[in-house]
Amino acid sequence: MKWIKLGKIFDPADHSLPNNCVEFAQSPQALVCDGFVRIYFSTRERDGAGGKYRSHIAFVDMEKDLSRILRVSDRTVIELGGLGCFDEHGIFPMSVLRHGGRVYGYTCGWNRRVSVSVDTAIGLAWSDDDGLTFHKLGDGPILGPSLQEPFLVGDPFVAVHEGVFHMWYIFGTAWKRLGPSDPPERTYKIGHATSLDGVSWQKEEGRRIVGDRLNPDESQALPTVLKIGARWHMLFCYRESTDFRRNRDRGYRIGYAWSDDASHWTREDESAGIDVTAGAWDSDMLCYPHVFECDGRVYLLYNGNEFGRHGFGAAVLG
Amino acid sequence: MSSAGSRFRWKKLGPVFDPARFPGRPWLREFAQAPATLVFDTFVRVYFSCRPPADANGQYVSHSAFVDLDRKDLLRVLRVAERPILELGGLGTFDEFGTYPVSVARDDEEVVAYYGGWTRCESVPFNVGIGCARSRDGGETFEKLGPGPVLPYSPSEPFVLSGPKIRRFGELWFLWYIAGRKWKLVDGRAEPVYKIRMASSADGLRWKRHDRDLIESRIEPDEAQASPDVIFLGGRYHMFFCYRYSTGYRSRERGYRIGYAASDDLETWTRDDSKAGIDVSAEGWDSEMVSYPHVFELDGRVRMLYLGNEVGRGGFGLAELHGALS
Repeated sequence: MKWIKLGKIFDPADHSLPNNCVEFAQSPQALVCDGFVRIYFSTRERDGAGGKYRSHIAFVDMEKDLSRILRVSDRTVIELGGLGCFDEHGIFPMSVLRHGGRVYGYTCGWNRRVSVSVDTAIGLAWSDDDGLTFHKLGDGPILGPSLQEPFLVGDPFVAVHEGVFHMWYIFGTAWKRLGPSDPPERTYKIGHATSLDGVSWQKEEGRRIVGDRLNPDESQALPTVLKIGARWHMLFCYRESTDFRRNRDRGYRIGYAWSDDASHWTREDESAGIDVTAGAWDSDMLCYPHVFECDGRVYLLYNGNEFGRHGFGAAVLG
Repeated sequence: MSSAGSRFRWKKLGPVFDPARFPGRPWLREFAQAPATLVFDTFVRVYFSCRPPADANGQYVSHSAFVDLDRKDLLRVLRVAERPILELGGLGTFDEFGTYPVSVARDDEEVVAYYGGWTRCESVPFNVGIGCARSRDGGETFEKLGPGPVLPYSPSEPFVLSGPKIRRFGELWFLWYIAGRKWKLVDGRAEPVYKIRMASSADGLRWKRHDRDLIESRIEPDEAQASPDVIFLGGRYHMFFCYRYSTGYRSRERGYRIGYAASDDLETWTRDDSKAGIDVSAEGWDSEMVSYPHVFELDGRVRMLYLGNEVGRGGFGLAELHGALS
């Protein structure tokens, strides 16, 4: 693969966003519409004085070649969950797809814990107004912790292939403290589940479908999958599990794997075709990739430095 | 409809096990909650959940353990477990802060246990999930099947999956449990409302949910229901459970009472609390509340273990059925 960077295409500081959101446009995900592309992202509302945030979903509509912004959502796309619900403290990200005349939104819901900072689970919401608003199936998740995937089930990416829903997602494998007074840091890996209706899912229960490159503590996040010809291509991001926020050499990069059966994956990061650019908005970090096709071209949306605090950019497959 | 001839009642035989009488186990300082039995040749093993003293913030963890009672005299304690039957879960897991309650059943040579695992949350005090473990040493120690829960949360069962009761009828495993419906803010404190639910499974691992409330709410819409204990006797399924008001439930008037429902097919349950046949006593250890019933048949008699005041802080007691369940 070879990606030609188009630069940063959306900066949240340039726009007024609903739900008092002021920074961050994380994990962009595209829904191709009639005459434009709707790109969902997660943006953040400050929650009290403790330095915590709540993530909300918003969207920006762009020209189909991503050359120009048409409008930005001015109201709530999907409500956060109520007291004690899995998505009470944020939705980040949301994966969208068209199926059966509706838009399906698979959400990663966040809720705060005491001994560790958070847990996550995957919810489902539907839109019947072409993605302007989404209504949840219920208060609880469709995919959450299970025997061999004990926490941090999140980052869904869903595609329908030959009548079967495929979900690539992540599950936590460890919470660890580097030292006794350090906050616990998490490690997560990419998994796979299937469904016939998009609601009831069958996990592979702990199978890590992509091998580690860095070390066993490597965290892998946000898989995005596209089938081109007979081959499945997956981009994702990966990092060290500690000191990854400010240390350029330990932060997120984009990895790549391919498969000819959607089951066995060969990791081949050297073919990812994209890396950091010195001096640019994505000089220190590349994360949260999303691949989609539009008008015969294949685009990549992604975040750069600081996990997308200052927006997202795009690249086109060369 | 019920007839006067089908009435039964429970004769109270008194308290059975109070942890305060068995010192030397710091993790078993007080509470003996949610009793569940496993019958052996000469003794009856009663599993229960208990607590060490609260921590500096007034918070508890729960452990599960057992006490062996003389099969011929259930008021006689033969032995108390020397250590919890289950480890607490690791950092960030669903059962990091408690394993409560536990329900057991024999499965060939093994004993299978389903238990509630407790974690602590920021906006609400806790969440609960249902875990599974197996014992290969006759129920002395249990090994978890994995670090996560066995029954997933779902869109209609979003949190507080707890109070599992495992039973086998015919070729299927049945799990009765409670599912949180909502968290209700009462004087600034989040209190969970939960209802009785059911799932069935061929292997005990993959569960098919019934996905509706089994027992209609009686005293108020937000009535909390717990401990759905099912036994098959006299050609019918009988469920004893407990229920309370959603607010002010630490008082005698609004605290736990034992309810009753019957079913012929496990699907449809008819609630009739007037037939439960047990209520609070005028005074004594169960004068404020009666809760967490467990009914079992032993040597031709039907017995009930249950909790009294303060939801089992002082242990559990025993009652015996007079009349017939039919």
